[in-house]
Amino acid sequence: MVDSTMPVDPAAAVGKNARAGDALVARLIAGAVILCGWEIVVRLSAPAFVAKPSTIAMAIPRVLVDPAFLASAAATLAGVVEGLAIALVVGTIIGLAIGRSRLVDVTLRLYVNIFYALPMLVVVPLFALWFGYTGAARLVTVVFASVFSIIVNVADGARAVPQEYVEVARSFRAAPLRSLFDVVLPASTPYLLAGLRLAAGRALIGAVVAEFITAVSGIGYFILYNSRTYHESEAFVGVLVLAGFGVGFDSLVGWCTRRFLPWYRRDRGA
Amino acid sequence: MSSAETNAAARIRVRGLAKRYGAFEVFRDVAFDVGQREVVTIVGASGCGKTTLLRCLDGLLPADGGEIWIDAQRLAAPIAGVAMVFQHFGLFPWKTVYDNVAYGLRMAGASREEIGRRVPHFIALVGLAGFEQAYPYQMSGGMQQRCGLARALAIDPAVLLMDEPFAAVDAQTREILQFELLRIWEGKPTSMIFVTHSIEEAVLMGDRVFVLKGRPSRVAETIAIDLPRPRTRATLRLPRFAELRERVWSTLMSEARQAEFQLSGG
Repeated sequence: MVDSTMPVDPAAAVGKNARAGDALVARLIAGAVILCGWEIVVRLSAPAFVAKPSTIAMAIPRVLVDPAFLASAAATLAGVVEGLAIALVVGTIIGLAIGRSRLVDVTLRLYVNIFYALPMLVVVPLFALWFGYTGAARLVTVVFASVFSIIVNVADGARAVPQEYVEVARSFRAAPLRSLFDVVLPASTPYLLAGLRLAAGRALIGAVVAEFITAVSGIGYFILYNSRTYHESEAFVGVLVLAGFGVGFDSLVGWCTRRFLPWYRRDRGA
Repeated sequence: MSSAETNAAARIRVRGLAKRYGAFEVFRDVAFDVGQREVVTIVGASGCGKTTLLRCLDGLLPADGGEIWIDAQRLAAPIAGVAMVFQHFGLFPWKTVYDNVAYGLRMAGASREEIGRRVPHFIALVGLAGFEQAYPYQMSGGMQQRCGLARALAIDPAVLLMDEPFAAVDAQTREILQFELLRIWEGKPTSMIFVTHSIEEAVLMGDRVFVLKGRPSRVAETIAIDLPRPRTRATLRLPRFAELRERVWSTLMSEARQAEFQLSGG
């Protein structure tokens, strides 16, 4: 990687490490305060089945080896990844078309904005009717939840492609359709990844909402079932795993940005 | 230059070219020929339509009147054999030097084998050997424009269009690049139209200097540059060079006065 070969000012590096260390300490203290507060309040004033950090911590090893839980987690993760993949392909194509064609823009923009603003909760019962109380309903919900943020971002990116790139492509007689994927798409990838980041969060919400409503097995349903049967600590482990998915996906997109778009930022910043 | 009009060797023929943006006429009645191995430089005040003219010649902008012929082909859209070097380089930041240089060839449908043969040659020609895998953001402006030049040369153009190619680099780099371009051009002379702000650059590069003037502008003066080729740093010290530079300068500067007379004359 380019970064590792660059000279680093040692004083600056030490300063940076010190700052990172300070931030870590502050974070840990804040986390400990929240957990202690939670523990104390629950112990003093709530019935025994209410989840508190100590019981959740004890539930973690139990839940994480439970085959039923692992199957649920895998089902949700697979649904989210599959849905995101579909949304990525469909959303990119529609977004490019909206961004580069006035006709497509005026035709579709209104509907994209309407669906983007629509709470996904209200469409899940319809999807459940159309696709049955199955994984298919969850998949469609995930696609619906995530595709519009990708469309909106890719369209913005495609519209913001520097005119110079488009002229170079025309000057070298590139076919317009080819330029769409050869010039406009790579120039829009920073927007695409920003859209994917948003989409991933919405996709997780979509999957959980679909499981709540259709009772398809997955982490969402696992949480719902356990909280209704007074296994609150187990339910919270499911919440933690979901949060882990969210953070993991966010880091993955961030890593992709640094790995595959080294030209971005530096190109305009420095 | 009446002989040039009947000269079969003219590669570029422009007749009665006009361009307007709404009510604003950029230029009108622009007519000239450029020979097969001739360098024409175009100077003029900012906003006189130099770059617009060049973009019309590349087929990027439709003209509103007149004709452009490249050899036997009437220009309506970008055609093969005409390559442009852009003022701000126009490199794709996500492509390496190698892929940027290969871009024109790929778009022209060149075979993998041909690309593999030509691209390293032109990268070496512009002095970028060893930087094949570098990205534009890792290079200085001068290196980026070398890459832009290699990309244009790689398609073996019969006509090179240079849009103030060295305006965005520092003065020293600019001088180096001027002589590099002269060296490369001597190796394979082609038709070249070179737009510049710099009078010195116009005289150094050109066989003829066109002065664009007026509103709407037109080719008001054509100044033949009879300096010997090949041109080198020694050319800059010739008395004749200084004379020609003064001539182009005074031609450009007389515009202000002319515009004044036109206004008071109604």
